[in-house]
Amino acid sequence: MNKLFKQKHELWMHITFASFSINDEEIKSRLYEFSLIAFRHMKWISTDVLESSGNYNYDRDMTLCTQDRVFAILMNLKKEVENIQSVYFSSVLGDRLRSDDKYLLEYLDDILSNHKNNVSTTAFNMKRTWPDNDLGVEQTDALTQFLLAEVYKEYELILIYAYMQARTDNITQFSVYQDLVDESLFHLKSFGNMMAKLGLLNLPRELHEMTYIIKDLDKFVEDGIAEEEAAKEMCKELSESIKDDKLSKFFDFINFQESYHIELMKKLLK
Amino acid sequence: MFENVNMPEGMNPEVLQHLMSPNNYGKLEKHTGVGVAMDEKSGEYVIFYLNVEDNIIKETKFATNGCQDTLVIGSMYTEMIINNDLGYASKAIEKMQDKLGVMSPQQVICSEIVFNSFKAAVVNDENRKNGINEEMHSIQMEESCEIDEDNKNE
Repeated sequence: MNKLFKQKHELWMHITFASFSINDEEIKSRLYEFSLIAFRHMKWISTDVLESSGNYNYDRDMTLCTQDRVFAILMNLKKEVENIQSVYFSSVLGDRLRSDDKYLLEYLDDILSNHKNNVSTTAFNMKRTWPDNDLGVEQTDALTQFLLAEVYKEYELILIYAYMQARTDNITQFSVYQDLVDESLFHLKSFGNMMAKLGLLNLPRELHEMTYIIKDLDKFVEDGIAEEEAAKEMCKELSESIKDDKLSKFFDFINFQESYHIELMKKLLK
Repeated sequence: MFENVNMPEGMNPEVLQHLMSPNNYGKLEKHTGVGVAMDEKSGEYVIFYLNVEDNIIKETKFATNGCQDTLVIGSMYTEMIINNDLGYASKAIEKMQDKLGVMSPQQVICSEIVFNSFKAAVVNDENRKNGINEEMHSIQMEESCEIDEDNKNE
């Protein structure tokens, strides 16, 4: 299987979860932009691999950096970006990947040069307290279970849709998959940042190929619609039960987005 | 999550640990048996890998696209059977059911999909040892964890 794709997948995860783990909104936001660039790198590499009659999978061999200081997290990220350089090939795409990473490394060095940025992080402290409001035990448990389930689910959906998008020649399907990937990336970002706020940030588990090699598209879409319905119900229940107005409104907003995902998915059936 | 293992102060830390970092999760490249239990209705599956030497389970792994209950049960069960013999692993299913206590009908199906995937892996291990060329053994779930809309409010 393709080594470059595997390492880019891991690097995308490293950047994404470094972004979630850092409290400073500006650094978080810049890192997240870089994570979206890394995701596009994955997409372009996958196209290259398939065009050359190769294949790739979603296996990972990585651990999340769970340090409690910003510099430790960024130093680890810097090491990961440096490690991938030797795998890049000589081509127009290879040059693009190197150039983007060079800029990311410069940005990391810039942040690391100012000791004021080296504040503590709370993403991995396992305290399970919601900083904006005292949610109580029952609501905290419900929120914990919801976030753990949904961070995995959104990661799963992003990778499945990306896998299918790379293999379709149908323009409508390609466009729908892109919309669904974009929507799930937004949900992953939202839920990942919430997990970090709760002190529970964690990598989603790996995907087995049985999950993303789809043999029956119609069945997959029908199951997906049922899952979206279930996610909507979970959002509705959380929204109704949670004693935090901002959170409650957020889950209503997500619930409504899930409704439109169902409409998008129906287009795949036509 | 499992009613009988909840502690007064909220979510059982053991359950949280299984959810965040499930034991024996993933693929086992070197294996003697692979089994899958599939819920055709919901599309959920559990794949179970065994590496058995002299009737002892030296290594085991599982993977699933299923819910959190399935994940926790798979994590607990694989931890229970590793380095034990196949007979113990079969009996451990009953022990696990006792440990899990009172479960909802959906949770019962989540536990069954894990146990059936193990049983399928044992069949595959036996088939291979008997010279049958079988990549993996599959068991279709008789009951689905997907709630039938028509029966939802019954």
